[in-house]
Amino acid sequence: MIETVGLGRRFEGTVAVEDLNLSIKDGEAFAFLGPNGAGKTTTVRMLCCLIAPTTGTAYINKLDLRDAESQLKIRQSIGLLPENPGLYESLGAYRNLDFFARLYGVSAKDREKRITELLKTLNLWDRREEAVGKFSKGMKQKVAIARALVHEPEYIFLDEPTAALDPEAAKTVRDFLLELKKEGRTIFLNTHNLDEAQRVCDRIGVLRTRLLAVGTPDELASRFFGRATLFQLREVRPEHLQALRSMPNVLDVRQEDSSLIVQVSDPKHDNPAIVSRLVAMGAEVSYVEEVKRSLEDIYLKLVGGG
Amino acid sequence: MRLRWDKVSTIVRKEMAEYRKNRYILLTLILMPLVMCTVLPLVYVIPITLLSPPPTDQPLDLSIRVEGLLEDQQLVNVSINNYRIENVELVNCAVGSCEIVNCTIYSCVVSYSNISDSQASSSIISHCNIWSSTTINTINPGSVFLGVESELEQNLKLIVNALLLFILLIPSVLPTVIASYSFVGEKLSRSLEPLLATPTTDLELLMGKTMAILLPTVLITWLSAIPMIIIVDVVTQPLLGYFLLPDEIWLLAVILIAPLFAVLSVLLNVVISSKVTDVRSSQQIGGIIVLPAIAFFIITLVGLVILSLTNMLLFAAIILALDALAFYLAVKAFKREEILVRWR
Ligand SMILES: Nc1ncnc2c1ncn2[C@@H]1O[C@H](COP(=O)(O)OP(=O)(O)O)[C@@H](O)[C@H]1O
Ligand SMILES: [Mg+2]
Repeated sequence: MIETVGLGRRFEGTVAVEDLNLSIKDGEAFAFLGPNGAGKTTTVRMLCCLIAPTTGTAYINKLDLRDAESQLKIRQSIGLLPENPGLYESLGAYRNLDFFARLYGVSAKDREKRITELLKTLNLWDRREEAVGKFSKGMKQKVAIARALVHEPEYIFLDEPTAALDPEAAKTVRDFLLELKKEGRTIFLNTHNLDEAQRVCDRIGVLRTRLLAVGTPDELASRFFGRATLFQLREVRPEHLQALRSMPNVLDVRQEDSSLIVQVSDPKHDNPAIVSRLVAMGAEVSYVEEVKRSLEDIYLKLVGGG
Repeated sequence: MRLRWDKVSTIVRKEMAEYRKNRYILLTLILMPLVMCTVLPLVYVIPITLLSPPPTDQPLDLSIRVEGLLEDQQLVNVSINNYRIENVELVNCAVGSCEIVNCTIYSCVVSYSNISDSQASSSIISHCNIWSSTTINTINPGSVFLGVESELEQNLKLIVNALLLFILLIPSVLPTVIASYSFVGEKLSRSLEPLLATPTTDLELLMGKTMAILLPTVLITWLSAIPMIIIVDVVTQPLLGYFLLPDEIWLLAVILIAPLFAVLSVLLNVVISSKVTDVRSSQQIGGIIVLPAIAFFIITLVGLVILSLTNMLLFAAIILALDALAFYLAVKAFKREEILVRWR
């Protein structure tokens, strides 16, 4: 379990992250969503015990990351994929992974088994001896991901794993993340790709220095936009709008072409009354459907981009 | 802070693997010592041996020549004037209260003998050697038979001490080159962040980096001393009649002071590398590290300090103290937090 308590970090003047309170369960896939400079990398670095928080703290597996002895244990249980792959470019993929496996204290037997397995899964086995400097971006990223996994960490932190990749390589990486999720590992994914967050993760936290919102995509949708329902009519007349606005449970009514978008707090309870009312006024209802809010709408609303 | 040597050795081996793939590091490791230990001794020693005149007979009256082997003899109260003594070998002799005045003594050897209450004056003595013998109350025995060193010998010793400077430059310069490529390379390729994320302590990382530079440096310094000694001896032995190197000062310098220098250089480079971001400025600042070596030898060459065993030990102690200071600074500079925040 990852738990942050008032976690914050300042850099001479700039506040990178402030008052972060978060709790991530074991086995959960969590996405940290935010624009550039939102403090995603800073947060991950704090959680990996690379830099110290200036305020608050965090507990990983109940270990306080301010404690020096705990830091070693925390790092042991974490696999980090940083923003840059940062491989030893003159060395081969196998050698790169072997070095890290040794530092993580993986036994000789497990080392060989694990590295072979990872390289084969990632389709790099045939090129394991080649200097990785010659690899494409996507291949380097795969080696870097394998590096984060050689010691079978409980927690995996990925800092914008697909940001620098072409769509095909990005898809390979994403599919691999889904595999990891199936294995039941706890995933912490930094991204500014909404689609990626939604596809890979169970829960999303929107960050801009402060945590603006956190929840499943559906929760976020209903929290920030209420539950909206679309009533498609043959023809919308002004009195329809007026009538609906005067109903007690209706929060908001908008007209879009020949549709009425109606927000109520409890659609199950309130929608039948709306339909009856419209029909009573002689409106011809063609169909009724729930309005799905995309993550993008929520995100833009939160970070104030549109 | 914890220090586990298996982690350190893992880092050292990885670094070595990287050096092997780095053309610049390899070239420096091979070429610089090669030049220092072969070209320089030849350039310095040969002119000296050519320039110094062979020991000649004037201005002495050489009426009598003495040659040959004296074995199991007792020489007491012998006074020798105006002789040329050449190719004389004293073996197992007892020399007492003897005096040599106005002689040329050339290419003589004394061994397994006892010499007491004797002196040589106003004589030119060269290409002589004395060994496995005792000298009591005898003026100027030195390494030379009963006398002062020749001019050639003095010059050669000066040059040989100057060569020591080059031997000490190797452990000062090599770490600068290796460190600049290994640290700055690590910064540029951003490979430090994943390394810092591993369950190793800052001290283990520092030691790994340090040892990885230190080991090849010390090994190469030691290896390059060997051809240097051989070249000096091959060139000078025919003139001196004995092997000039290695003497105790050289042994001390190569075995003890060179590694201490290497440690200083490596640690200061760690400190410097943690403050700069490109190869060139790291090398330029790293160049400062050779200054103590050069300063010390200018002082000795000018004659302010004599290169005696005691002075060398004192020098070693000073460097050791500087090593300790540099280690303290390096430990302070080499912190995960600092490295990540600074090296952006
Ligand atoms: N080492 C540092 N020194 C100074 N400021 C920093 C440092 N690292 C990050 N920052 C600042 O902190 C803020 C958050 O950065 P970061 O965590 O990298 O954001 P993100 O990863 O979400 O793009 C930015 O304003 C950035 O300029
Ligand atoms: Mg970032």
